[in-house]
Amino acid sequence: MDEKEIIKLFTYMVTSARGCVDEPKTYGPFRLIDSISKLYSILKENNLIENEEVSKIIGKIEEKKYSCMTDEKEFVTMLDDVIDDFVILVKSNKK
Amino acid sequence: MDKIRDSILDVMKKRRSIRKYKKENVSKDLLLQLIEAAIWAPSGSNVQPWYFIIVDDANTIEQVNSFSPGLLGDPPSIILICSDRKKAFEKAGTLGRDELCMMDISMAAQNIMLLAEEIGLSTCPVKSFNKRAISKILNLPEYVSADLIISVGYSDKITNTPERRSVEETTFFNTWGGVEFNG
Repeated sequence: MDEKEIIKLFTYMVTSARGCVDEPKTYGPFRLIDSISKLYSILKENNLIENEEVSKIIGKIEEKKYSCMTDEKEFVTMLDDVIDDFVILVKSNKK
Repeated sequence: MDKIRDSILDVMKKRRSIRKYKKENVSKDLLLQLIEAAIWAPSGSNVQPWYFIIVDDANTIEQVNSFSPGLLGDPPSIILICSDRKKAFEKAGTLGRDELCMMDISMAAQNIMLLAEEIGLSTCPVKSFNKRAISKILNLPEYVSADLIISVGYSDKITNTPERRSVEETTFFNTWGGVEFNG
């Protein structure tokens, strides 16, 4: 794995943490969800994740994540949908 | 530059904040035209406190990007608008340093974004970046404040038009609440 990509993600997350102290409150959820996108990209590029369901969930996130700036309701609905998807995923992985 | 085809209002209405760019570089000539637009912005006490750092080196953009969570969509170039707060204070006092500077660079930024729209470029103003880190990466002197990043490139996405509050909702005549729209 390219260490540079991981460091980039770390700098993004730590800078976001600092930014969240002063920035609009919806930016916090956006940074978290955007971190998932970035982490997924790194894992995918390094063939460390191959899960069709996760890929679909990431697609949903990518499609709607910027709505936090224009339509908070749409953004929250997307987050709720994604949580529902993860619940299904987690339950199906139950041993 | 091509003949200006659209009225200024059309250009204003067409401009969108773009967060996904094509992998196509913007020429230095075009970037400098944007700065030419910027320096003609109004300036309180005519301080003109602005400095513009054009970053079109991929490695430097990547470094800036690492500390700029709001810089999205891999733009091929960015313009950092800075202000000389020392000069602003000397010429216009605390008002100049703390308020006029921000207004000046905002008006310069709008000039940049409107000309960009007119000449087929796309932009996004970005305030979500870590000033401390960006100042170190770009070697800013202590008295210069990194105020706003504008990403510049060719859009790779059609964006929706967000709703706008209407003129009627946002405007009063002569006094707060004064309405004269039917006259």
